[in-house]
Amino acid sequence: MKSWLALAGLIDATNRRVGHAVSWLILLVTLVSACNAISRKAFSISSNAFLEIQWYLFAAVFLLAAGYTLLDNEHVRVDILNTRFPIRTRLWFELFGTVFFLGPLTVLMLWYGWPYFMVSITSREVSLQAGGLILWPAKLLIPAGFLLLFLQGLSQAIKLTAALAGRHPAAALIDRHAAQEEAAAAAAAIREHSGDGSRA
Amino acid sequence: MTSFLAENIGPLMFVGLVIFLLLGYPVAFALSAVGLLFGFIGIQLGLLHPQLLQALPQRVYGIMQNDTLLAIPFFTFMGLVLERSGMAEELLDTLGQLFGAVRGGLAYSVIFVGGLLAATTGVVAASVIAMGLISLPIMLRHGYDKRLATGVIAASGTLAQIIPPSLVLIVMADQLGKSVGDLYRGALVPGLMLMGMYAGYALLVSIFRPASAPALAASARTLRGWALGRRVLSSLIPPVVLIFLVLGTIFLGIATPTEGGAMGGCGALALAALRKRLSLTVLRQAMSVTTKLACFVMFILIGSTLFGLVFRGVNGDLWVEHLLTALPGGAFGFLLVVNAMVFVLAFFLDYFELAFIIVPLLAPVADKLGVDLVWFGVLLSVNMQTSFLHPPFGFALFYLRSVAPKAVKTSDIYWGAAPFVCIQLLMVGLMIVFPSIGSVSHKGLDTGTTMRLDVPVSDDFESAPGTFELRPEDLTGYGPPKTEPKADHEQ
Repeated sequence: MKSWLALAGLIDATNRRVGHAVSWLILLVTLVSACNAISRKAFSISSNAFLEIQWYLFAAVFLLAAGYTLLDNEHVRVDILNTRFPIRTRLWFELFGTVFFLGPLTVLMLWYGWPYFMVSITSREVSLQAGGLILWPAKLLIPAGFLLLFLQGLSQAIKLTAALAGRHPAAALIDRHAAQEEAAAAAAAIREHSGDGSRA
Repeated sequence: MTSFLAENIGPLMFVGLVIFLLLGYPVAFALSAVGLLFGFIGIQLGLLHPQLLQALPQRVYGIMQNDTLLAIPFFTFMGLVLERSGMAEELLDTLGQLFGAVRGGLAYSVIFVGGLLAATTGVVAASVIAMGLISLPIMLRHGYDKRLATGVIAASGTLAQIIPPSLVLIVMADQLGKSVGDLYRGALVPGLMLMGMYAGYALLVSIFRPASAPALAASARTLRGWALGRRVLSSLIPPVVLIFLVLGTIFLGIATPTEGGAMGGCGALALAALRKRLSLTVLRQAMSVTTKLACFVMFILIGSTLFGLVFRGVNGDLWVEHLLTALPGGAFGFLLVVNAMVFVLAFFLDYFELAFIIVPLLAPVADKLGVDLVWFGVLLSVNMQTSFLHPPFGFALFYLRSVAPKAVKTSDIYWGAAPFVCIQLLMVGLMIVFPSIGSVSHKGLDTGTTMRLDVPVSDDFESAPGTFELRPEDLTGYGPPKTEPKADHEQ
C-alpha cells in the first residue's frame, strides 16, 4: 500500500507541475492571438502558421491540464444527490466512476490515439493551409493528454482505495468544493485590495 | 430482449445518462462513459459500425481545431485579471457615492455595475463576489431589506451570463453553428431589458416599501463635487474603453470574438499594470483558473461529442425529433415545452452541461420548425441564466452565501432571488410573445424562413482510415469547427 501511495504522490506532483507549466501557455496564446489580430488589421499580414499556433497552444493547455484539473477536482459534477450520501458510499461511487467511466475512455483514447499520431509522423503530414505547420505535434497532444489523465485516474483510484481502507484522508478526495475555494480566493484578493486604503 | 434493446436504445441511452450523471462523477467522463457503453452495445447489436470508436481521436482533433471556443479562455482570462486587479470594487464604490442620495440608489448602482462588469468580464463569480463583499455590507448598514439586497446582487451578477461577452453565448453559438457576433448582437437587447426590469423592481419596492430601500445619509457620502467627478472619470473610463475595444470591434465586425477576446485579455493586463496591481500572484491565479475552466469545458465537449456520436448513430436524435415535433401547437408548443424543460433542468445542471447536452438535440428540431436559431439561442440563454439564481444550487447564490455576513440567513438569499427568477421567466415569456426581441434578423418565429446549417465537412474526415457514413447533419453541434472558419481570419 505504501509504495502505491508513493506512486500516487509522484503522479500528483507530476500533473501539478505539468498543469502549472501549461497554464503559462494561456498568457502566451493571448499575446499571440492579440498580435495576430493587430497584424491582420494594421498591416494586413496574416500567417497561417501563427493562426495555427493559436489552437495548438490552446489544445496543449486543455489536453495536458486534464490530469491537473482532475487532481484539483475541478471537472464539474452534478452533486445534487451524491452529497447526501454517507462518505463511504461516495468513496465507492468515486472509485466506481474512476475505474468504469474514466478508465475506458482514457485507455481507448490511448489505444487509438497513438496509431493516429504515428500515421501522422511517419507520413510527415503537414497542414493543408499554405505555410501551415507540421501536424504531428498537435496529434501527439491527444495520447499525451490522455496518458496524463489516465495516470491521474490511477492515482485517484489508489488514494480512494487507501481511503476506503482508512489509510488516507477521505475528505481531501471528495469534499473539496472547487467553486468554494475559487470564491474564497477571489474574496481574499478583494479584501486585500480594499484593505490598502483605496476606500473606507 | 435484444430486439427491445435495439428498438429503444435511444431512450435507454437517455435514461442511462441521467443515472450516470446522478452518481456525481464529473460530467465530462459520465457523458463519455454513457457514449462508450451504448456504443459498445450498438456495435454488438449491429446498429453501429465497429470503426466508430476508432475515429475518436479524430473527433478530439476536430475539437482542438475549434476557433470559436478559443474565445473562452481569452474572455475568462480577461475577466479574472480585471477581477483580481480591483476594478470592480472601484466602480461599485464610485457609483454608490453617485447614486446613494436617491432612495433605492444603492440597488440601482448594483444593477448598473452588474451590467457594466458583465460587459467587461463576463464572469458571474467576479461580479457576485465583488458586489457581495462591497455593496452588501453598505446596503445592510443603511437599512436595506436583506432579501432585496441579496436578490439584487445575485441577479445583477448573473447578467454576466447574458450580456456580451458572455461565455454561455460563445458555447451556444458553437453548438448552434451560428456566429458568436450574431448571438452577441441578439443578446444585447434582452440583456438591457433585464437590467431595466431589475431596476423597475427596485423602483417599485422603494415606492411601496420605502423602508426597505432607503437613501444614503449625507454623512455616508464621502466624495462630492470635483473629487466625485474625478473619481467617476478614473474608475468609469477604463472599463468603458475596454468595452469599446472588445465589444465595439466585435459588433462592428472589425474583430472576430476570438480576436476581441485576445485583445481584451491584453487590455486587462495593461489596465492592471497601470494600476500597479499586476503581481505574479494575480497573473498565476488568473492563468491557473483559466486553465482549469478551459479544461473542464473542453472535456465536457469531448464527452458530449462522444455521447452525441453514438446517440445519433442509434437514431436517438430522430426519437427526440419525433417527440418534439409531435407536440401540439407547432413551433409555439415546442418553445413552451423546451423552455419549461430547460427551466427544470437548470435546477440540476449548469449552463455548460445544458448547452453541450441539450442544445445539439434541440437545434435541429428548432431549425426544422422554422425557428431562427440565433433568437432561439438567446432565448435559451436567458432561460439558463436562471440556473444561477435557482435555489438551492444556483451558483450566484452560492458565491453570495460564501461572502455574505452571518447575519444574512441562507433563506434570505433564497427568498431574495425569487422575484428575480420571476423576472427572468417574464423575460422568456416576452421573448416568445414578441420574437423581435433578441432576434438579429427580426424574424424570430417566422415560419417562412428556413435556416440551413451549412456545416463544412472537414477534409480530415475524408482522409479517415475508417469510413463510416457521415452525413453533414451528423456534425451539427458535434464535431469539427463549424462557425467562423479560418477564412474569417484571412480576409
